[in-house]
Amino acid sequence: MSCPRCAPQASLVLKAEERWALVGNPNTGKSSLINALAGAGLEVGNWSGTTLERLSAHLSLGEARVELVDLPGTYSLLPTSPEEALVLTELLQNPPDRILNVVDAGNLERNLVLTLELMELGLPMALVVNLLDEAEAKGLRVDLEALAQALGLPVAGAVAARGEVEGVLEAALGAGTPHPPVRYPAPLEAALAALEPSFPSRGLALLALLGEGVPLPEPLLAAAQEEREKLLLKGHDPYLLALEGRYQKAKEVYEKAVQRQGTPSSLTERLDRLVLHPLLGLPLFLLTLFLAFRFTFALSSPWVDLIGRVQEVLAGWVAASPLPPMLRSFLAEGVVAGVGTVLAFTPVLFLLYLALAFLETSGFLARMAFVADRVMRWAGLPGKAFIPLVLGFGCNVPAVYATRALSHPLDRLRVALAIPFLACGARLPVFTLFAFVFFPKNAPFVVLGLYLLGLLVGLVTALLLGRFLRAGQGEGAMELPPYRFPPLKLLLRLSLARTGSFVRGAGGPILVAVLLIWVLLHLPLGSTSPYALLAQGITPLFEPLGVRDWRLVGALIPGFVAKEVVVGALGVSFLGGEGVAPVGLLEGLRTLLGALFQALWGTLENLLSLFAPASFSLAPEPTPLQAALKGAVAPMGALAYLVFVLLYTPCVATLAALRQVVGARWASFAVAYQLLLAYALAFLAGHLPLRP
Amino acid sequence: MYPLSALSPGRRARVLQVAPGRRRLLALGLRPGATVEVLLQAPLGDPLEVRAGETFLLLRKEEAQAVMVEALDEA
Repeated sequence: MSCPRCAPQASLVLKAEERWALVGNPNTGKSSLINALAGAGLEVGNWSGTTLERLSAHLSLGEARVELVDLPGTYSLLPTSPEEALVLTELLQNPPDRILNVVDAGNLERNLVLTLELMELGLPMALVVNLLDEAEAKGLRVDLEALAQALGLPVAGAVAARGEVEGVLEAALGAGTPHPPVRYPAPLEAALAALEPSFPSRGLALLALLGEGVPLPEPLLAAAQEEREKLLLKGHDPYLLALEGRYQKAKEVYEKAVQRQGTPSSLTERLDRLVLHPLLGLPLFLLTLFLAFRFTFALSSPWVDLIGRVQEVLAGWVAASPLPPMLRSFLAEGVVAGVGTVLAFTPVLFLLYLALAFLETSGFLARMAFVADRVMRWAGLPGKAFIPLVLGFGCNVPAVYATRALSHPLDRLRVALAIPFLACGARLPVFTLFAFVFFPKNAPFVVLGLYLLGLLVGLVTALLLGRFLRAGQGEGAMELPPYRFPPLKLLLRLSLARTGSFVRGAGGPILVAVLLIWVLLHLPLGSTSPYALLAQGITPLFEPLGVRDWRLVGALIPGFVAKEVVVGALGVSFLGGEGVAPVGLLEGLRTLLGALFQALWGTLENLLSLFAPASFSLAPEPTPLQAALKGAVAPMGALAYLVFVLLYTPCVATLAALRQVVGARWASFAVAYQLLLAYALAFLAGHLPLRP
Repeated sequence: MYPLSALSPGRRARVLQVAPGRRRLLALGLRPGATVEVLLQAPLGDPLEVRAGETFLLLRKEEAQAVMVEALDEA
């Protein structure tokens, strides 16, 4: 299905090391193509100076080693967003040996505009017409031979998601430097003719003429600027002339290569009528989200339990070892607990990423933006920002990473800083504990109120930051991708890569924080631990909130590591720590085997009950901790405490994610801002005129 | 000639011009000469789901106002 003959000056000789860049519109299957070509071995890297994910994979071709680089999707080399600008920068400053331009067979005319632009860069290039199956379903037949003839490029057809990529390598190897295909309207051609001889390629001359920042010597840019002004003086906008020439050519090529046959079956259109329905749309989305969270938590909880058991056994083994007591405690309660805290996140994240990857690649998540657009606009955000915010209710960490899908850095920043206010799953145990002790009749309303408060504070934060940083009204226009059924392999690969990225990025900081807290809790300082001293030291600060018990205040310190730790810390300081029980070798192994079996069984069980109605279990019997808490603080103080727990500082894992996505300065800002805001709002909450 | 935002759902139109500075709309396929159709309108008329050629787009009203179209007769 390829036509290497059609390429002029085919460079069939392969260098020992080559870099091939995959360039194309968003959603054309570039990543699927890399997966199909290179098999396993995707690695996630960071782009120089940016926080965008760049995937690359390696491929061996005889003696040669080829690096396949997946660039972010772009509609044009004339950037319409910073993300797209990066594609141009990468192609110009770090030119690949070959460009594989991936186009959507079902949307060829628009895709070809980018192809035509790329052909002007003077780099060897081949065309991969992907998604042939979808085009066929739309009633479109693409004549690859005619396409190759019309463009003068080697062309291969593919259905990358199904691994049908025969001919792609052949086409890539046949890539030669293409002839620039577009004849522009006369005034633009005249200006180009004056510039082209001194420029390395027609494409660069045109980009300079259009006023794009291209890395070229100053005299060349000055010459381009002069031509540009001449055109503008004569009333010609070079940008519009360039577009006109390209649209014309794209249309011409499209008409030669594509035939319509039969009536198209537009699944997308029909599904959208339902999914974006004015009345049904919203409930349908809430249901989808609910199922996604349920899937995540139901299937991950057995594995989180397993990690907890493994942690217990390992700590038990350490406790039974003949090491000095201090070292034993450090290993068991510091190192093992720290690594365990990191690992306990991974099943939740992996499954949440899996659910998210499904919603994302199937096209559902993009529709959510449609439904939520109004609220987002109120906060000055693009509709797309709804997606990471929703994820924040599950776990703030993947939500912060998900802001990378937003193209404008300011939007990314504002959403990332709003996310830590959203009540993640880890805060729920604290909420329920206190709500049932202090507000037994109104507990569900208190919890719901906290969730809404978090959302409101997050949105207002985004709004105010936008005002303060003078962000424009968020970009609303976005493409709604066609519905697709994503292959499981792709989903697994995506979620594994993202989970790995979390462990590498956030694992270290969490571990350090856990060890630090161990030191605070265990190094004896006189008669009492630094933890108690520190807690007692800061307790007066919390008196205006109505919280006077140092044990409550102290629990906020380890809560910085993960908010669910607050409950554990309260248990230790109110009821006394139990220490680590030593465990024998055989006994430990038996526990581990049992736990593994339980995890497998639990997964199966939860999978079966996934669609059963949710049950809320209220604990009628007050636990010893609940009884102890009741005497420690008045109800209004408890409410203030809950508001504080909801809003104060992101947990270490979120902080590590924030640092990766928006930088250390903004991450520090988030800590300070949240502490102050949490204090102020907790104070207000504690003085609400309520009678619990 | 009137803005795309005034097109009622189900009607088809041809794009005549796009307000200057709206590069993203052009890149997404709302280019002069393209056939567009408003598929859906969220409650209160905003946002819109628009089909331009083979592309499905989500547009805010303010963006749809930047695109001038002429109505095509029902095919």
